Amino acid sequence: MNFTIATTLDEALTALAAGARPVAGGSDLVVGARQGKSPLPESVVAIDRIESLTHLDASTDGLGIGALVTHAQLESDATVVGAYTALADASALVGSPSTRNVGTLGGNVMNASPAMDTGAPLLVFGAEVELRSSAGSRRVGVADLWTGPGRTSAQGDELCTAIHLPSRPAGSGSAYVRLEYRRAMEIAVVGAAASITLAADGAVVSLSVALTAVAPTIIAVGGTDTLAGRQVDDALLADVAALASSQAVPISDLRASERYRRHCVGVMARRAVDAAARRARGESIAVPVNRSLGIGAAS
Amino acid sequence: MTAATKPRFIRADGPDKVTGSGRYTADLTLTGMLAAKFRYADIAHARITKLDVSAARAIPGVMAVLTADDVPDVRFGPFVQDRTLFARDVVRFEGEVIAAVAATTAAIAQRAVDAIVVEFEPLPLVTDLEIGLTADAPLVHADWASYGAAGALVRDRNDASFSSISKGDVDAGLAEADHVITSRYVADGSHAAPIEPRAVVAQWEGNKVTIWTSTQVPFDARAGVCETLELPANRVRIIVPHLGGGFGGKCGFHYEAHIAALAKAAKRPVRLVFSRREEFLAPDRRREGMVIDVTTGVRNDGTITARKAWIAIDNGAYTADSGFFPQLAAMHVSGPYRIPNLYVEAHLVYTNHQPSGSVRAPTAPQSCWAIESHTDEVAAALAMDPVDFRRLNAVDTGVEGPSGQTYGEIGVQQCIEEATKLVGYGRTLPDDEAIGVAIGWWPSFAVPSGAYIKIDGDGSGQIITGAQECGTGSVMTLRQLAADELGMLPEDFQLVYQDTSVAPYDMGATGSQTIFNNGRAVIAAAGQIAEQLKALAAEHLEASPADIVLADGHAHVAGTPSSSVSITELAGIASGGELLIAHGSGTPPSAPPLLGSSCVGDVGMAAFVAPQFSCHAVRLRLDRDTGVVRILEVGAAHDSGTIINETGALGQIQGGVMMGIGQALTEGTLYDDESRQRNPALLEYKLQTCADSPVINTHFVQIATPNAGPHGAKGLAEAPNVATAAAISNALAKLLGRPVRRLPMTAERVWETMSEVDPS
Repeated sequence: MNFTIATTLDEALTALAAGARPVAGGSDLVVGARQGKSPLPESVVAIDRIESLTHLDASTDGLGIGALVTHAQLESDATVVGAYTALADASALVGSPSTRNVGTLGGNVMNASPAMDTGAPLLVFGAEVELRSSAGSRRVGVADLWTGPGRTSAQGDELCTAIHLPSRPAGSGSAYVRLEYRRAMEIAVVGAAASITLAADGAVVSLSVALTAVAPTIIAVGGTDTLAGRQVDDALLADVAALASSQAVPISDLRASERYRRHCVGVMARRAVDAAARRARGESIAVPVNRSLGIGAAS
Repeated sequence: MTAATKPRFIRADGPDKVTGSGRYTADLTLTGMLAAKFRYADIAHARITKLDVSAARAIPGVMAVLTADDVPDVRFGPFVQDRTLFARDVVRFEGEVIAAVAATTAAIAQRAVDAIVVEFEPLPLVTDLEIGLTADAPLVHADWASYGAAGALVRDRNDASFSSISKGDVDAGLAEADHVITSRYVADGSHAAPIEPRAVVAQWEGNKVTIWTSTQVPFDARAGVCETLELPANRVRIIVPHLGGGFGGKCGFHYEAHIAALAKAAKRPVRLVFSRREEFLAPDRRREGMVIDVTTGVRNDGTITARKAWIAIDNGAYTADSGFFPQLAAMHVSGPYRIPNLYVEAHLVYTNHQPSGSVRAPTAPQSCWAIESHTDEVAAALAMDPVDFRRLNAVDTGVEGPSGQTYGEIGVQQCIEEATKLVGYGRTLPDDEAIGVAIGWWPSFAVPSGAYIKIDGDGSGQIITGAQECGTGSVMTLRQLAADELGMLPEDFQLVYQDTSVAPYDMGATGSQTIFNNGRAVIAAAGQIAEQLKALAAEHLEASPADIVLADGHAHVAGTPSSSVSITELAGIASGGELLIAHGSGTPPSAPPLLGSSCVGDVGMAAFVAPQFSCHAVRLRLDRDTGVVRILEVGAAHDSGTIINETGALGQIQGGVMMGIGQALTEGTLYDDESRQRNPALLEYKLQTCADSPVINTHFVQIATPNAGPHGAKGLAEAPNVATAAAISNALAKLLGRPVRRLPMTAERVWETMSEVDPS
């Protein structure tokens, strides 16, 4: 095995061009190898010391999140908690404190697990991923990045260097909730993120919902545009739940049956929209929603 | 409170473990040491048609490859001799060892394992307990009748051990009942899941072998090595470094002989370290799945007239220490109740699953879950408060229990009062919360045990004990018992454990028996030292030995504290004459008599020595949309006799409750259609975490029990693992209107129960 430590982006890109795979926190790559899921790659380049990838940059365009920003940073960063709260909700649920201290958003995004907690928030925010190679760089929306479980549209020599989130209109709120069987070291059984913008009278201006662990990738719920103009009330929440459950294509596995997942993802979507709307109205619901609203995000 | 019950406790092994300076078995390295790997069957029932290890042996760096042909042809097993070190002809579960490899690196050993050629002819699977007991079921052991077995066992085909308890006339008792309630409960198997996966290191010197191993029961491990490798006990030395948890999973005899045999063949030390996956799949110690059918008759006034029950227990492919499970399960399904007419039968069924063995309070959490859920169903049929029903029907001091044992002073009624008080039973709760209550019991185990004590010339002491510390703190508490006898401090003693060639016999960290039996041994040894010190002091102080008091590190004349000499000085005197060396064992308490009952397949479990009682009351919240349950508060009241070490005892209650919550909600083994475990990993086999921990409040009902352990102590470590799942079930049933009849009561099963159409 060939192990290189890159201290600059150029060194990392050169190694990738030569066939190396990147490792940052190692919370997927190393754990996966230990569990026998997939052996460690023949050639690995450590990118965790590339200082330029560690920053959070807030601007009028939105928020740039360096690929090496950890879940621990995301769950407590004031801009993320304030404007992109669903991402903070999701980051706070990942693994354990030690997982969150080493796990990075870039690694999470490029691992492309359909059960990744941060995926649904990124999708509802319309996040774009910056991919760099020796040849140049490009931006890809996350919906186009994730092509299947563990698969992305990135080339082997491309490194995710940052995730860009567009700025948020006034009157916006967001939330992520997941179904979990325990409160630490857990993976989403199903989950849902919602991003909502409300008019002064409380009517929905825009609503996006995305679902976790009910399809080969994180998926966006279609048809939420038809809910614009309505109040966020029980009828709307029931419609959201129905849309989510009907669009989910879950599998049956160890964690849950297809039927139970389909039901629960509707519950999660409803709770995510409810919490997002309450935040949009200025109500303070502490991160993560799963904890502040009780078990399984009971509302 | 006596001096022995003062809550003061400093764990001798704490700093080593916390700072990382302590050594576990997997940390050991010996010169020239090889790595061991096993070839497993990976098929649940099959005949081996070809086994060829020649390619594996030819790999450079491979120093030994062993199969059944390379070790003595010995069948072993504590109850039924149905097992061999390596599979012979037939494999009966996926984790059965076919071959073992020792090589210069683990990677080479794994390559060699993969190069072993094995071909199989599949045999029909036995996975369902009821089908397994039918007359035309395939046999897991075709030669079962020819196996050696303990004389008390009643065996028939796949029924490895049958037991029944019969008292009175159960049909007449049911006939005179006003209500007859029948229930069925089914529990999945589960795991001990210690955080340290097991490890074994073996090294031969001449014809003697030293084995470092992560076992809870070093003498049992030694006996297994001696039996299977045909060695006398004095040529096998078992040493246990720090043990990273056990929970019963490291009881029994596991792989010590395989590694000793490899080390002998390779003429090099050999080390085995299990992966987490192996820890799940291979050892013959996991908690048994069960099916429980129970019928209870009650009068309108709430008194029980009769109980009839049928129990099937998943033995798995081989009989580990599970031979006593049927009788113990029958006792738990009877429960600590006044039942005049009783018939319970229990079957230990061979299947092509991993073998079952004693995991913390074997058979009890599942049986208690079933019977206490059933008890709430009975109370509901009577429209009676379930706690009142228990007050009325539970056993008490001087009352005859279900198996015909009349109890001395016991605290079950006090446990009910205290546990319900701890959680405020009866108060108004939000409509998504409820409190459930359950009672349980567990015996203490009276067995032989030994210890030595010596005091060296500088006055410092050593306790050389056969007892094994598995993390409970029991061995750590021995210092306190010795110190109290000698007027010294626990810190004045070092503990020497665990080395079977140094210390006298003890059964090990099993059956909650360490303080109960080894405490007796240590106190007896300390008593000998005390006599020696008093004689020396008497001479020194010119008094009678009978008037010498040992206290505060000194010996003084009773009533004259100024006439004293330090124990250090006495030790110095002794070092120039008769040395301060003592041994202790003491006589184990005897088993109580049973009257009016008859037991088939009696292995001594129907009479409980120093029985322990408990009541757990659990407040929980149900997410009605998803079935997810959150445990908010647990009140645990325990009669485990006198509490010797309160800090350690509280830790055992809290740990037992957390293990019980896991068994109740998230821990269960799932099998695929080929009888392979589907979740042998910690992400998919969900233990509870600290973040899931509720508030746990404990009350000890302390009755200094006669015919018990030191200072009236009973056992403790298993009792807290009995009633939690049952109490959770009863709280859930209040919210759902019916019980969840499968264990674990996973969120999806709760949701399914909620979604069921009510048949009424």
